[in-house]
Amino acid sequence: MRKNNHRKKIFSLTLLSAILMTTSLAACSSNNNEKNAQSPSSSASPSGTASASATVAPPEPATLRLLTDQSQAWPVKPDWAVWRWIKDATNIEIKQELQTGPESLPLAISSGDMPDLMSVFPGDAQKYGPQGAFLDLSKYLDKMPNVKKYLEERPTVAQRMTSPGGEMYHIINDGGGAGNNVVYFYRDDIFAKHSLQVPTTWDELYETAKKLKALYPDSYPFVFRHGIGTMRSFAPAFGIYPWFYEEPGTGKMKFGVADPNFKKLVEYLNKFYKEGLFPPDWLSMDYKAWTQFMTTNKSFISIQFIGQIEIMNSQLKDGAHLKFMAPPLGAGDKPYLAKANFEEYGFAVSSTTKNLDAALRYLDFIYSDEGSDLLSWGKEGESYEMVDGKRKLLPQYKEPNDLRKELGMFTTGAVGLANMESSLSLSNENERYAYAEAEKYQFPTMNITPPLTNEEKSAVALIEEQVLKHYEASVAKFINGETPMSQWDAFLAELDKMGAQKLLETYQVALDRLKANSK
Amino acid sequence: MKLSILGQIKRDRIFLLLLAPTMIFYIMFRYVPMFGITISFMDYNLFKGIAGSPWVGLKYYRMFFENPDARIIIKNTVLLGFYKLLFGFPAPIVLALMLNEVRSMLFKRFVQTVSYMPYFLSIVVVASMIDMFLSPSTGWLNHALQSMGFPAVNFLQEPGWFRTIFVSSEIWQQVGWGSIIYLAAVTTIDPQLYEAARMDGAGRLKQIWHVTLPGLATTVAIMFLMQVGQILEISFEKVFLLSNAATYDTSDIISTYVYRIGLLQGNFSYGAAIDLFMGVIGFALVYVSNRISRRFSETSLW
Repeated sequence: MRKNNHRKKIFSLTLLSAILMTTSLAACSSNNNEKNAQSPSSSASPSGTASASATVAPPEPATLRLLTDQSQAWPVKPDWAVWRWIKDATNIEIKQELQTGPESLPLAISSGDMPDLMSVFPGDAQKYGPQGAFLDLSKYLDKMPNVKKYLEERPTVAQRMTSPGGEMYHIINDGGGAGNNVVYFYRDDIFAKHSLQVPTTWDELYETAKKLKALYPDSYPFVFRHGIGTMRSFAPAFGIYPWFYEEPGTGKMKFGVADPNFKKLVEYLNKFYKEGLFPPDWLSMDYKAWTQFMTTNKSFISIQFIGQIEIMNSQLKDGAHLKFMAPPLGAGDKPYLAKANFEEYGFAVSSTTKNLDAALRYLDFIYSDEGSDLLSWGKEGESYEMVDGKRKLLPQYKEPNDLRKELGMFTTGAVGLANMESSLSLSNENERYAYAEAEKYQFPTMNITPPLTNEEKSAVALIEEQVLKHYEASVAKFINGETPMSQWDAFLAELDKMGAQKLLETYQVALDRLKANSK
Repeated sequence: MKLSILGQIKRDRIFLLLLAPTMIFYIMFRYVPMFGITISFMDYNLFKGIAGSPWVGLKYYRMFFENPDARIIIKNTVLLGFYKLLFGFPAPIVLALMLNEVRSMLFKRFVQTVSYMPYFLSIVVVASMIDMFLSPSTGWLNHALQSMGFPAVNFLQEPGWFRTIFVSSEIWQQVGWGSIIYLAAVTTIDPQLYEAARMDGAGRLKQIWHVTLPGLATTVAIMFLMQVGQILEISFEKVFLLSNAATYDTSDIISTYVYRIGLLQGNFSYGAAIDLFMGVIGFALVYVSNRISRRFSETSLW
C-alpha cells in the first residue's frame, strides 16, 4: 500500500505538472480578463435573451477545468460539439478532465490542484464542502439570477442540495432523471414463441424462469449485473428500499434490511441461485459480460437502466427483441420501481478557483432556460432543422444515444437543466412506451439519506462502513446459500449490535431537521 | 596521505554526480512524503493543512483497534502475505534450478520467455483473465470440470478459494521474473565444484543439493529478508479487482479497507494511521528476521 501511495503520488505529480502548464496558460487568459473586467453582474449577460446579448459586448473569454465521470456507452471526445456551443454562447472554454474511479474526486481535492468545476453527488458535496473544498454557492446566488430562479421553481431540488447549516456546496441537475430508471425488460419474441405469460409477481417470475431454463438448459433466464447494489432496484417491488430511507407517509426513517419483506426478496434470490436461474457469477459481472448474456440468447429477462433496452435492441438480430416489463409484485399491495425521476449529479465549484466569475457564469448559463434549450437541442443546421415550424433532429442522429455519443449532449458536465424532449423524439415507440410505463411504478419516496452535520457524520462514518460491509457480505452469502436462511435473525441481531439502530436514530434526527428547515 | 573532505569530494565528483539523481529521487519521493504521517495524529483538514489541523494524538489508532473488523482485516492481510511468501518464495528458486538443468538452449530460452511474459501484463488484464477463466457460467475451467463429471465451482464467490486463487495467480505472474536473479547467481558457481562432485560420484540431484543450492544460499537469504519486509505489501489492485461482497471474509485486507474508509470516505487521518501501523509491522518483521539470519548464518541485510 505504501508503494501504491508513492506510485499515486508520482502519478499525481506528473499530472500536476501537466495541469500546471495548462493552468498557467489559462491564467494568462484569465489575467487578461481581470484587467478589463467589468463588475461581475454585468458580465453575467448570457442570462439575457439572444437579442440582448447581441447588443452587449460578449463576456470575457475564460477557460475552465471540469472534472466529470465517464461512461462506456458514450466515450468522451474532446471535440464534442456541445463544448463549442457553450464556448459560442458564454465565451468559456471547457477543458474536461475524467474520473477513473470513485477515488478520483478525493484525489483531485487532496492534490491541492482542484479543477474549477467538479460534478459531484450530494454525499461528496456534504463530505468535502464543509472541509473547505467547495464554495458555499448560497452566498453567490445574487450573481447567478438564473440559478436562483431555477431553485425557487424547484424547492425539492433546493432542499436536497442544502446542508444542515444552509450552505449549498453544489447545484443539483434536474430534468434528465427519467434516464436513471432501472426497469425490468424481457425478450417478447421468445415469450411469444413459447406462449409464455409476462410474470406479474415474483412467484410467476420464478415459474417463468424455470420454464425458460427447461426450454434452454444452458441459459440463465434472469440476469442482472450490479451485484448487491441491484437490491436497490429489486426491493421496491417488495415495498421497501434496502438501506436507510424515508418511509412513505410516516415521515420516519426506516432501515429496509430489517423489514420482513427484504427477507422474502433474499429468499427468492436464493431459490433462483440454487436452480441456476441467474448466472452464478452475478457478483463479478461487468457490462461486457452482461451484454454477452443478453445478445447470445443466454438470458431473457433482465433489470437495467432504461436506456439499455434500445441499446441492446440495436445489437440483437433475427427478430430478437426486448420490451419493458412491469415490475413483478414481490410483497405488499403494489409493485414499484426505485424512484428515479430526480437527478443526483450536480456541480461544485472549487474553493481555490481562480476563475470564480467564469465558473459562476457557466453555472448560471447551464441552469438558465436559454442554456437548457441550447444544450438540449443544439444548433439549427448542426443538430436539428426546422420542419413545419417545429424542430426536428437531423437524420444522422438515429437513436437517443447518438446525441450523447456524437455531440456530447446530456453527458455529465454538459447539462444542468435538461429538456429530454429532443432525446425522446428519437425514441421509437417501444422506448417511449418504456418511459411512460416506468412513470407509473415510481416508489413514493427517494432512496436517499438526509444530509448530516459534520459531527453526526464523524460519529457514524465507521459504523456505517461496518454495517454496510456486513450487510453486503451476509446478503451475498444468504443468496449463494452459504449461510442458511435460518440464520437471518442472527444476521439482523448482528447488524443491530454493530450500530444499525444508532444510524437509524442519527438519520431520523437529520430528517426531522430537514423538514423543520424547509417549512 | 589522507585527503581532506573537500579534497575527497573533488576527487570523487563524478561519482557523486552519478549518485545525485538517485539521492534526489529518494529525498523527494521517499523522505519528504514521510512528513505526511503526522496527519495520522491529527484531525486533518485538507484546507487548514498540517499547521492548522487540531492534534488528536492516538485517536485514530485507538479507533482502528476498537473496530471489531480490524482483527479480521489484519488476519486476512497477514495470511495472504504469509501464503504468498510460503508458496511464492520457493517457486522461482525451483524454476531456476530446473532451467539450469535443461540442456537444450533453445528450449530453455523458450521456457524463460514464456515464464517472463505474465510479469508484464497489467493487473487489470490479469484480473479479467482470471474472471473469464474461472467463471462458473462461461469459463473454460469450469466447463472442463463439468465435462469430467465434477460440479462447477463458483471460484470467485467462495471465500475459501480466494487465497488460493490470489497466491497461485501471483506465482504465475512473478515466477519467471523472480528466477532471473537466481539464474544469474547460478552462473557464478565455480564449474570446478561440479567437476569435483562428479568425480566423487555425485549424480544430478546430488550436485544440485550439494553444489548449486549452497552456492545460491546467500542470494536466497537476502531475497528472503527483502520479501519478508514486503509481506504486508499485497497488491491492492489485484485484491480489489478479484474480491466481491461474497468473499469479504477472506478478501478484505488492510489496503482495501484503507481505500474504502480513507480514500472514498475522505478520512485521510484514519487511513494514514492504519498505513503507518502497517509500516511499523513491516519494519519489525524485517528487523526480527534479520537478527535471526545473522545469528544462524553470516548473511544479513545490515
